[in-house]
Amino acid sequence: MNTSPSLPKDWRLTPPWTAKHLLLGMALLALLAFTGSRLEMPRMFTEIGEAVGYSVGLTEKSPVADGLARIGHSIFPIQIAEVTEVSRIENFDRNDLPLFARIEVQETKTARLNPETLQMETGVEKKEVLVEPFGYLKIVLIKMAETLEIALWATVLSILLSIPLAYYAASNYSPNKLTYFLSRSSISLLRSVPELITALFLVLAFGFGPIAGVLALALHAAGFLGKFYAEDIENADRKPQQSLEAIGAGKLKTLWYGVLPQVIPQYVAYNLYILDRNVRMATVIGLVGAGGIGQELKGRFDMFQFGHVGTILVVIFITVLLLDQFSARTRKKLL
Amino acid sequence: MLKFHSVSKRFDDGTQALSEVHLDIPQGQFCVLLGSSGAGKSTLLYMVNGLVTPTTGKVEIGGKALNRTNMKAIRRTVGMVHQQFNLTPRLSVAMNVLSGALPFVSYLRAAAMWYPRTLRERACRLLAGVGLSPEHLSRRVSELSGGQMQRVGIARAFMLEPQVLLADEPVASLDPKVSRDIMVLLRDEAKRRGTTVVCSLHQPDLAVEFADRIIALKGGKLIFDGTPEELVAAGLDQIYQHDAAISAPTGSTPPLAQQLLEALA
Repeated sequence: MNTSPSLPKDWRLTPPWTAKHLLLGMALLALLAFTGSRLEMPRMFTEIGEAVGYSVGLTEKSPVADGLARIGHSIFPIQIAEVTEVSRIENFDRNDLPLFARIEVQETKTARLNPETLQMETGVEKKEVLVEPFGYLKIVLIKMAETLEIALWATVLSILLSIPLAYYAASNYSPNKLTYFLSRSSISLLRSVPELITALFLVLAFGFGPIAGVLALALHAAGFLGKFYAEDIENADRKPQQSLEAIGAGKLKTLWYGVLPQVIPQYVAYNLYILDRNVRMATVIGLVGAGGIGQELKGRFDMFQFGHVGTILVVIFITVLLLDQFSARTRKKLL
Repeated sequence: MLKFHSVSKRFDDGTQALSEVHLDIPQGQFCVLLGSSGAGKSTLLYMVNGLVTPTTGKVEIGGKALNRTNMKAIRRTVGMVHQQFNLTPRLSVAMNVLSGALPFVSYLRAAAMWYPRTLRERACRLLAGVGLSPEHLSRRVSELSGGQMQRVGIARAFMLEPQVLLADEPVASLDPKVSRDIMVLLRDEAKRRGTTVVCSLHQPDLAVEFADRIIALKGGKLIFDGTPEELVAAGLDQIYQHDAAISAPTGSTPPLAQQLLEALA
């Protein structure tokens, strides 16, 4: 069968990897082994294994599975209704109840010391409460709306901030080395400080509430956008720009007609990503008091009201899901 | 109209692109630059609108020497057509043509992409003149064919109503049939307006057909300056068989054109 003429010796296929790659791979494994032991990774794996074994009935007990079950029990069922004592509501109008709301009478047994007999007596205390079946959900949705507003404003402000930054940070448009250096370093500075830290400081400056949140998110995102806008300006095809420069159109007009149309699709993608990221981050920065749903989350968590926490988490999850759909669609339409 | 006073150009890397070129191009002349790649054609062209500044010598347009202070004003009178068309791909045909008048509009109008009526009419007239139809107006340039792109490029160049039009190998990336159409368009439009044209070409047959005057460069030096007839008389008498070149778009260059190319190389 082997009738083909033999190949010259220099026609030889070698594997696409060499000893260097193997050595690198081994070094990487060694690094993982070292850091893994420092981070208690073996314990993580054994405990996860125990938990999985417990759930299928192989292991007797597992602290991790117990812990997760406790969390599950305290979160579910999630708290959707809101119950308020009528006596605590100012100017309560019995004839004008909110939608779906009803008044219930709750009886609670209370033990009380009778001062005359010095005996403990159990009495029944009646109090009227206003039950709103979707009351808490409504509160969370309002907070979520505030979070979305924070994200929107942060995105708009970051775009406005990043445009001049990008212009001066693009090496082919920046008027001189100094402006280039200044804007590049401010972009790095903005990007290097995490939102949560900026928000902490801004809460000290502006007080609790959305202002700190909007500014913290906007500053960080401006650094991100400035960097990416500038790099796209630098990488844009030079030819259209040359033809406009050749007729003396000037830098700004050249940018508008020669560069912007080329980079618009990427810019839209960046902006959508920033909006998406800002929504997710806006839920977090509330933890330090910068407004939005995070503030509510932190409060309920600290009061151990895990049912409420569950509602908030579900709402955040649904919002992020919807946002993903929205940005995917917008991107498709605009590109 | 257009004068080169012993211009030389040495680039930073030491390449001598042009040495001691004297030229005087009168108003309305259609002047073709021939020469192989690296002969200095583009350098000579770019000197006219200051994209390249001569190391020594000076360039004069309409009696005014080109310098730093009048550069912007002079660039407004010099249109340019490029080899790769240099249009903005995602912008519409209309916007690309209108962008040729950018030096004349305010920043506000430029940003809003809303041009004065006269410029809009001029753009439409030019696009009709280069053989495009109204449905092309809002189309993206990237959807056009190469020939159509160069038509848009020519319309854009004439938006300035330039005194001088520079064409840097305007048909180098087009097929022979389209190349000829584009050259016809360029010459007719320029003749009608009395625009001086300096056009670099790689096809001697097109040069002989369309030029009023042919200038050949070799190694940055001027080696021929005369009419097409004189070029043909200089040993290339059968050059008018350009149709053979058009029917043979790839591979074999007709022997006569080949002869001329060799003579220039």
